[in-house]
Amino acid sequence: MENISKAFGGVRAVDEVTLSVKRGSITGLIGPNGSGKSTLFNVISGVEKKDSAGAIEFDGKRIDRLSPHKRFELGLGRSFQTPRLFMGMTVLENTMLAAKGQKGERPSVAPFPSRWEGQEIELAKRAQDQMKLLEIEQLYGKLPNETSGGQMKLVQLSNAMMGDPKMLLLDEPTAGVAPRLAQDIFKSIAHQREQLGTTFFIVEHRLEVLFKHVDTVFAMHQGKIIAEGKPESIVKDQKLIDAYLGS
Amino acid sequence: MAFDFTGFTIAFASVYGIYAILGISLNLEYGYGGQPNFGQVLFYGLGAFVGGTAAANLLPTFAGSSIGNICDVSATLAREQIALAYPAVSVSVWVIALVLAMVAGGIVGIVVSYPALRVKEEWYLSMILLVAGEMFRVITMNTQQLGCGFNGLGGVTTPFYWLSTYFPSSTLQANVPTGLYAVVIVVLALACFKIAQRLGNSPYGRLLKSVRDDKIAAESLGKDVSKVRKQVMIIGSVMAGLAGALYVYYIGVASTDDFIPAVTFSVWVMMILGGYANNRGLLVGTFVITMLDRGSLVSGILLQSSFPNFSANLILYARYLVEAVILLLLLVFRQKGIFPETRIKTKAYTLFDFGRKTRLTGSNPDERQKGRVTSS
Repeated sequence: MENISKAFGGVRAVDEVTLSVKRGSITGLIGPNGSGKSTLFNVISGVEKKDSAGAIEFDGKRIDRLSPHKRFELGLGRSFQTPRLFMGMTVLENTMLAAKGQKGERPSVAPFPSRWEGQEIELAKRAQDQMKLLEIEQLYGKLPNETSGGQMKLVQLSNAMMGDPKMLLLDEPTAGVAPRLAQDIFKSIAHQREQLGTTFFIVEHRLEVLFKHVDTVFAMHQGKIIAEGKPESIVKDQKLIDAYLGS
Repeated sequence: MAFDFTGFTIAFASVYGIYAILGISLNLEYGYGGQPNFGQVLFYGLGAFVGGTAAANLLPTFAGSSIGNICDVSATLAREQIALAYPAVSVSVWVIALVLAMVAGGIVGIVVSYPALRVKEEWYLSMILLVAGEMFRVITMNTQQLGCGFNGLGGVTTPFYWLSTYFPSSTLQANVPTGLYAVVIVVLALACFKIAQRLGNSPYGRLLKSVRDDKIAAESLGKDVSKVRKQVMIIGSVMAGLAGALYVYYIGVASTDDFIPAVTFSVWVMMILGGYANNRGLLVGTFVITMLDRGSLVSGILLQSSFPNFSANLILYARYLVEAVILLLLLVFRQKGIFPETRIKTKAYTLFDFGRKTRLTGSNPDERQKGRVTSS
């Protein structure tokens, strides 16, 4: 992405950000609260429109004028900082919803189960594997509001992964999750990257977990990228230290 | 005045079937799709007037006779004679009228949903539709060219009116055509129910519920929210148009008095009473409201015949009071209706091999909102 800005009223939440995320990498985005990380993710995924200037490219295609669902179809998935789940649907239904190319999602096909049931069972198998990986299989029949905050995070991650994304934007995937599970989530992320080559761009406050798995880290403060580099070098960056501790 | 049980049953079945179609339509739009349609009566009324006008014009055309102005009393009587004398014409015109009413419902569904799809808050849609419904009624009532204006368009008999010529007894003459028509209405209502059940218990049902529960999250998972909203409005509007055409053929006249906003709210009470996104529950809710509707009508007439000074309107309007009380009691004691929403029944669950039915909680939009994690 190049020269991307997003202002709310007089506040420039994202201020002329230019960055690129390498295909197949796990890239971190860190910064103090209010630094614009989630807004940046909203702009990349299309939930928020960027201000006029700048461009976002994904997989060689310009995507900043596309609607969020079209960006997802191209392979750009995301999770939200506050889990956005479908509260009237079970965990299994939430997970299965995200799968692409469902024949039964067409109203002309849906009334004829024989035309989509085969695919439905295949998707259920995939959903089951996905849920096993994240240890949420037992939650399959529960509604999201019958699960804990940490479990909701996992369900959301499971949903995002069901869409076969080429790149996943994960906004604080381990917030509210037990420490052991936080490690497991990152192991799953690393596993997914190795197996499928998925690219991950992750906002995370648990730096000790994040730094074990990321290739590159961007640091953000007051809407700008203030540092970029390997985890071991970025922690020594004076601008980042100042941003966190105040200067 | 003696109580005519057969007549009551036929009327009840006819009205029940028509209300059930309206309720199923609203349940698809709001219960599953989260589109609050406060203008259900627009599509219902449109179906009635399009169906009635089609019948009034096509009957003489197909029978090869000219009846002049369709609003004249002589034309009304001429239509009844044609319906008696030409069975094939009568039935085929009815089929065409139903199709035209459904097409008109679908087209207007697209038109009215166009601005609504572009507003962020779906409750604006409800306001647009509420106003559109009332505008339709007032314009139709004051325009002679549309459904004969204030007087309404009469002389629309059931498609089986000609059967009365085969029976000597006046009771059978009256009950056989209307009874058969009631059966047809109930069969069509069951077909709509079946379609709604299949749509609801499929990936499309998941898609609808996702748009209902959180449109931003649905968009972020690749769902084209605008398209889904438009689709469900079209499906719902087509069904409501069908209900309107069935109604005008049942009642015999397309009159604007029958398409007041209170009709829409009765359909809402049916859905809230039965349960959101639960088609079986909706049929129960419809039964209760139809019983209230027919019961108030019949008891008003019977009381007036016994006590000439008694005003039947007193009971007719008391019906709305009872509906309001039902609504209030539901909001206090049973927000999810008599039958709460159930999980989507597809074969996906068979893999998980528990086969237990899961009652969903939090199907009320406000409750769903409460369930969301607010901090992380």
